[in-house]
Amino acid sequence: MVPEIGGIGLTKTKVNKSVAEINDRIRRGDAVVVTAEEMVEIVRERGEVAAAKEVDIVTTGTFGAMCSSGAWLNFGHADPPIKMQRVWLNDVEAYAGVAAVDAYIGATQLSETHGFEYGGGHVIEDLIRGKKIDVRAIAYGTDCYPRKELETTITKDDINQAVLCNPRNAYQRYVAATNSRDETIYTYMGTLLPNYGNVTYSGSGSLSPLHNDPNYETIGIGTRIFLGGAQGYIFWEGTQHAPTKTMGTIMTIGNLKEMDARYIRGVTIENYGTSLYVGLGIPIPIINERVAKTTGVSDDEIKTDLTDYGAPRRGRPILREVTYSELKSGKVEINGNEVLVSPLSSLKWAREISGVLKKWIEEKRFFLSQPVEGLSTDQVFKPMKQITAVPFVRNLMTREVVTAKPSDSIASAAKIFAKRNFDHLPIVDAKGRLVGIATSWDIAVAVGTGKKKLSEVLTSKVITATEDEPVDAVARKLEKHKISGVPVINARGELRGILTNQDLSKLLGGRGR
Amino acid sequence: MTRKVLLRYSTQKATEPILASVIKKTEILPNILYAELSTKGGEILLSIDAPDKEVDKTIALFKRKGVEVQEIKRAIELDRDSCFDCGACLSLCPTGALYMTDDKSVELDEDKCIYCELCVPSCPVRALKLSRF
Ligand code: SF4
Ligand code: SF4
Repeated sequence: MVPEIGGIGLTKTKVNKSVAEINDRIRRGDAVVVTAEEMVEIVRERGEVAAAKEVDIVTTGTFGAMCSSGAWLNFGHADPPIKMQRVWLNDVEAYAGVAAVDAYIGATQLSETHGFEYGGGHVIEDLIRGKKIDVRAIAYGTDCYPRKELETTITKDDINQAVLCNPRNAYQRYVAATNSRDETIYTYMGTLLPNYGNVTYSGSGSLSPLHNDPNYETIGIGTRIFLGGAQGYIFWEGTQHAPTKTMGTIMTIGNLKEMDARYIRGVTIENYGTSLYVGLGIPIPIINERVAKTTGVSDDEIKTDLTDYGAPRRGRPILREVTYSELKSGKVEINGNEVLVSPLSSLKWAREISGVLKKWIEEKRFFLSQPVEGLSTDQVFKPMKQITAVPFVRNLMTREVVTAKPSDSIASAAKIFAKRNFDHLPIVDAKGRLVGIATSWDIAVAVGTGKKKLSEVLTSKVITATEDEPVDAVARKLEKHKISGVPVINARGELRGILTNQDLSKLLGGRGR
Repeated sequence: MTRKVLLRYSTQKATEPILASVIKKTEILPNILYAELSTKGGEILLSIDAPDKEVDKTIALFKRKGVEVQEIKRAIELDRDSCFDCGACLSLCPTGALYMTDDKSVELDEDKCIYCELCVPSCPVRALKLSRF
């Protein structure tokens, strides 16, 4: 469903202002503009009707990693001309599967020479800064575009269009992340310490642009916004827009050449990849008291799920609900412990952006636009349709495992290794619980140093898997820890089997690689 | 100037109140940044805010008492020009050396830093730099 802009069809309100009237006030210099943070107090003190009469515009802001960002560039034609088949900007590949010299540079594309240290986000920032960018392209050559190779250097002034065009920006709110595993993990939600060692979150809470108009009464297609320090527009609902879950998103567009690198920054997220920090603010016209009320939303009222990113599945377990005011306090309680919190989006910058937008309006440099169409309010975000079943550890593991007891002798273990061709010997106690593992190397060393019992050489800190873990998650574990297999245990710590690289290669064979 | 020294005790020294006696003698109150004591001995990282000469004297005193002393010659810097106060580093810092002010700026109090380097690679714009000298 797409609502009628201006709230037609909704219940009658006491205060009714049009965007045109509000623009007249801006022109006359008597529009009352406040930031979303200031509005919280005004609505709390005077109520939404009085607030709607008094305030004309509420400015919002956010400044965070928005991976779904990129820019369309048009390079102009070379002589002889080329139809770029593949193109690289500072060694970062841009998508060129469109017309001859158009390309889309995406924020998360990595440099082929600098890896995580430089990516599409950095290229965009460098373009805005006016820096020189090395362009390299290849092509197959046609009668009309004979050229097959090209190398040049450009700045934003040398090219035709440079348009920031972001498929998904300004998440209304986002989940907060923590990690139950006993190892540090590196995610798009930042570095997560082991055993719930920290919490990270994103979004600016009460300043969040979409949270100030969650019914999309004023925000729609054609809404003029602050985008990267310039005036940009909303041109569609964002991908994964999920308004019913208060997880709305928008697609945004703006002239990159006018932007300010203070508000568009290429970044590296540790051991994850590159991205783009985007500064974005939406002015909300206070057309009635209903909108006044939603712009009065405070951090106490905005809740999100504290989610365990340690689980490698789509349906990550939720620990509990947290409010943005808890998150913004810098500490959150998990299982009785106080845990430090990292906001990943900059609260200071979000506040600054809401202030800049306010100033632009007061100085008559920014006028509101009446959207031409609303955004959907009932769109749902579907999971991916998968046509092959995801294999789990239980489908692939070897169940018949030779084990030993800690009290067994090194000599007997050596015999086992000699007889069978494997490298891991799980050591279990009388109840079948895994107490450690010994490798053929451990045994060789033990023989050499005259050790007698397995208990003297076993490694008790073992990386393990469970039967219901997806195989891909375990493959990642093996790679990360540079090991060739893991024992599979159940919740009681009992050994159920073992999964090795050999088991995994059966699967890869099956996948036809 | 604040200088940082790492003390290493042996088992037997750990039981002696060395720290207390040195404080008493020098009348300089060091900050304990972290301490790890076990039956095998221990480690204490001190930050001493005093004139160079006094710090030298303190170090000498510890040495005389049989404690292994190592001065930590490292520095950490937060480049204000590139930092955009995202706070990604905040929850990784074990000592509160990185903290958020009331106006939501992120700041660094090097006196509290133990140079664990956890924050350095977490900074999305490489605003945190550690140097050795
Ligand atoms: S190195 Fe960084 S994380 Fe570690 S104590 Fe110093 S400031 Fe904190
Ligand atoms: S992670 Fe870097 S940019 Fe973010 S607050 Fe810390 S120092 Fe500043």
